[in-house]
Amino acid sequence: MDLKKLLSEREFVFLDGAMGTMLQKSGLKTGEIPELLNLTHPEIIENIHSMYIEAGSDIVYANTFGANRYKLEGSGHTPKELISAGIACAKRACEKSGREAYTALDIGPIGQLLEPTGSLSFEEAYEIFKEEVLAAEEADLIVIETMTDLYEVKAALLAAKESSDKPVICTMTFEQNGRTFTGCSCSAMALTLEGLGADAIGVNCSLGPKELLPVVREICRWTTLPVAVKPNAGLPDPNTNLYNVTPEGFAEAAAEFTEMGVKILGGCCGTSSDYIRALTNKLSDKKAVERTVKIPSAVCSYSNTSVIDRPRIIGERINPTGKKRFKEALKNGDINYILGQAIEQAGAGADILDVNVGLPDIDEKAMMVRTVKALQGVTDLPLQIDSTIPEVIEAALRVYNGKAIVNSVNGEEKSLQTILPIVKKYGAAVVGLALDENGIPKKADERFAIAEKIMHRAMEIGIPKQDIFIDCLTLTASAEQEGVMETVNALHRVKQELGLKTVLGVSNISFGLPNRELINSNFLQMCLTNGLDLPIINPNIPAMTGAVRAYKLLTNIDKNAAEFIAAYNNAAPAAAPKPVTGELNVSPEGLLFAVRNGLKQDGAIITEKLLETTDPMIIVDEMLIPALDKAGADFESGRIFLPQLILSAGVAQAAFEVIKSKISKEGSTVSKGKVVLATVKGDIHDIGKNIVKVLLENYGYEVIDLGRDVEYQAVADAAMSEDVKLVGLSALMTTTLRSMEETIALLRRVKPEIKIVVGGAVLTPEYAEKIGADFYAKDAKATVDAAREVYGQ
Amino acid sequence: MIEIKSIDRKEALRYLSCRDEKNIGETASAYLDECEKRLLEVITPKYLYKYFPLITENGIPVIEDCPLPLEGKNIAAHLEGCSGVILMCGTIGSGADRLIRILQIEDMAKAVIADAFSGAAVEQVMNEAEKQIREDFAGKYFTWRYSPGYGDFPIDLQKSLLAVLDAPRKIGLCASDSKMLVPVKSVTAVMGVSDTPLPPQKRGCVTCNMRERCQFRKRGLHCGS
Repeated sequence: MDLKKLLSEREFVFLDGAMGTMLQKSGLKTGEIPELLNLTHPEIIENIHSMYIEAGSDIVYANTFGANRYKLEGSGHTPKELISAGIACAKRACEKSGREAYTALDIGPIGQLLEPTGSLSFEEAYEIFKEEVLAAEEADLIVIETMTDLYEVKAALLAAKESSDKPVICTMTFEQNGRTFTGCSCSAMALTLEGLGADAIGVNCSLGPKELLPVVREICRWTTLPVAVKPNAGLPDPNTNLYNVTPEGFAEAAAEFTEMGVKILGGCCGTSSDYIRALTNKLSDKKAVERTVKIPSAVCSYSNTSVIDRPRIIGERINPTGKKRFKEALKNGDINYILGQAIEQAGAGADILDVNVGLPDIDEKAMMVRTVKALQGVTDLPLQIDSTIPEVIEAALRVYNGKAIVNSVNGEEKSLQTILPIVKKYGAAVVGLALDENGIPKKADERFAIAEKIMHRAMEIGIPKQDIFIDCLTLTASAEQEGVMETVNALHRVKQELGLKTVLGVSNISFGLPNRELINSNFLQMCLTNGLDLPIINPNIPAMTGAVRAYKLLTNIDKNAAEFIAAYNNAAPAAAPKPVTGELNVSPEGLLFAVRNGLKQDGAIITEKLLETTDPMIIVDEMLIPALDKAGADFESGRIFLPQLILSAGVAQAAFEVIKSKISKEGSTVSKGKVVLATVKGDIHDIGKNIVKVLLENYGYEVIDLGRDVEYQAVADAAMSEDVKLVGLSALMTTTLRSMEETIALLRRVKPEIKIVVGGAVLTPEYAEKIGADFYAKDAKATVDAAREVYGQ
Repeated sequence: MIEIKSIDRKEALRYLSCRDEKNIGETASAYLDECEKRLLEVITPKYLYKYFPLITENGIPVIEDCPLPLEGKNIAAHLEGCSGVILMCGTIGSGADRLIRILQIEDMAKAVIADAFSGAAVEQVMNEAEKQIREDFAGKYFTWRYSPGYGDFPIDLQKSLLAVLDAPRKIGLCASDSKMLVPVKSVTAVMGVSDTPLPPQKRGCVTCNMRERCQFRKRGLHCGS
């Protein structure tokens, strides 16, 4: 069917009302699978559709809402069976009605939460939805509805778009605060789904029509797509579960949506054919209001929209270039280090995070996907995907839950041809570098010309102008001093004459010069004044972030200096270990005191000073480890509690970092041995494992952390490739002990001599022995004891 | 649905096996304040419950008009003498899970504290739910809240229990393939309802399947208050 055509021919397109409400009236019991009726009582289903069509529905939703692999587990039926039967019921009703009516495949939530909150992966969700889409060849269109997780909608929409050419309507369920349960905002939904090619978007279920007005108004502000609204019949009475709005009241309130330009209307929970009839009657002689919206430049994560109506800081720290520690983290798959960089920049004032994980000898695509997924679990800042490889960019955009920026395309033909289609497909924004086959032009005019070319080419394939950002490229002032103003002038022209947003990596300007911070912050000011929207900087440097804040204050963007004052005047620092006032006690006793009292900074400083006169291994073996042992013993005897033990470990960790960096300069190692840690497959509770990790590291062991929900094979692979002597497995639930057993069995097959330590709330020493573990660890301290036994130190 | 203004610190400290709050040191004490504050900013407490009549078939309790089986000896004993059951669930939302993830990167000590506070907060949600239930069913008598996974009451029931309450749709509470509740900081429970006073029930270590490895019990304490 052609939804666009239908919408242009009609003032309004009417959807149906509730299916569940009608089925309950027909005697469906709580907890029964409604889709089974497609097979057992097709006449009931067909009849409900007929009633809706007769009441005026142009589109009816087939009874397929929950017909997915997960929900049908154990029902004895496949999605294919129930979906085909469901579509057939609706089709028959459409045909018999004698009017133009269409059948929609109805896709509801899977019923399980996706990563990072749940354990269902994005890729698995995609497959589940794809199966539904493929089962509904006969449907005229696809609706994805009642969703609360934008990530799940994205999986469903991609599956629909990639496996069919039917129009797709996506509606999500919002609470009164304008967000879904998972925190998705109206703007994030609209920006993301329009970008991904939805044909209409909107809201269903949630609330009554009156309560939904603000939500719908907000959605209308953020999309050029037709907007669909399917409210409940008011709010349910908590005791009777009956809804409180009558058909007439419903129609009256729903008519208000049309004032905002809503063209697609129907009902959800509590509504029946009476409601749809009242609605169609009410709107029978009403004219649709044409919407004119201008969508601003904006990018978003699922919950946080960054509108580029003012300078927004792009944090540059997630990038291995010139950073030894970062490269090491990438090679070792140490994702927590990267996440730490994200959290630090977010705290310092970044609005968007650039993500570059390119390193010659790693699988950049796999690392990028892993990093993007992990980042969106801990930060809601929108991401900028920074890579030169199209496959890496596409993989990242695919798993990104929001609207990202692609960094970058350039004026080279090959780049334009490969990058722009990916940007378009996933609805991202894109950075265009003002360079081409001939390199970076010297003169501003030439860079401007390339920017213009990139703009035209991007717009030709349908990337909206507001999503094109131009980078006029910073050259280093020490090498090409005359080039600095060329950059600034090019930027100015792009902004003024093309009306595009501009982006610029600032820090390179001072390369090779002393007092780089001074040069950087001044150059930043010059660029901001000339129209820079997206400075890419290190937000952890106060002078840089401060320059942006000051600019916003002075240009009257930061009204009443609210943001500025909040940043500088209201400094209520988070609880952090206070350094001891006065002289530090640089001695073994001083270090012990710092460890014991959780004084991280002091511990690091004392260690640094001690290293001047003391052998590193003496500090480790004779000071840090005894101090940790003391803390461990105090914990066991109940003198201190778990957070204090971890705080002590944190101090030791800081001290270790100091020692490590000294030792790595000398080319030797401090590692006492490698340990692989994993929370077993199916288990997503990993805090226990992470505590163990902290403690092991602070005793000088090198930990290869495989994370949570880890496949058996992945544990075995790591044990082999890293050639470790000890593997630690954690499981919290009785249901995942089975995974632990399987993992152990596999480890025994591939590496019989390996030692295995297990822990977790439901384990007992007896059970640990039964499933073949060598050690049972009742707590983190016990794992350290196991490691000591295995490695003999 | 409900608002939680402060979290029961004593309860949280008990989860952390801390016996004496005065003795936890300045740093840890500041962490407690910070974690409670940050947690309160992100939680979205919600609960659901539903009453069903209960009948007995061949000595096994059966929920009327509901496909949820009450399997196991323990739940049968728990519901003895009851004419109805309340199925219930509560959560503090995915914001808590997210915060704990963030804190694990920031500082593991904070993560552990926030984890304990979250546990205490879910209990508060369930207590609020129970308070509401006792108001709704004034004059009735109730058992304590029995959860899947206690004794021989199968944890596999999570998914169907949530389905009966329509929890995934109504409050965003789901079960994973391995029957874990997601968001993690959530609880499901079954409460027996009776028209007549119920005999005092065995509650505590005897029927608990954690009794062999419980850290509380080892120290002569117990987990329920």
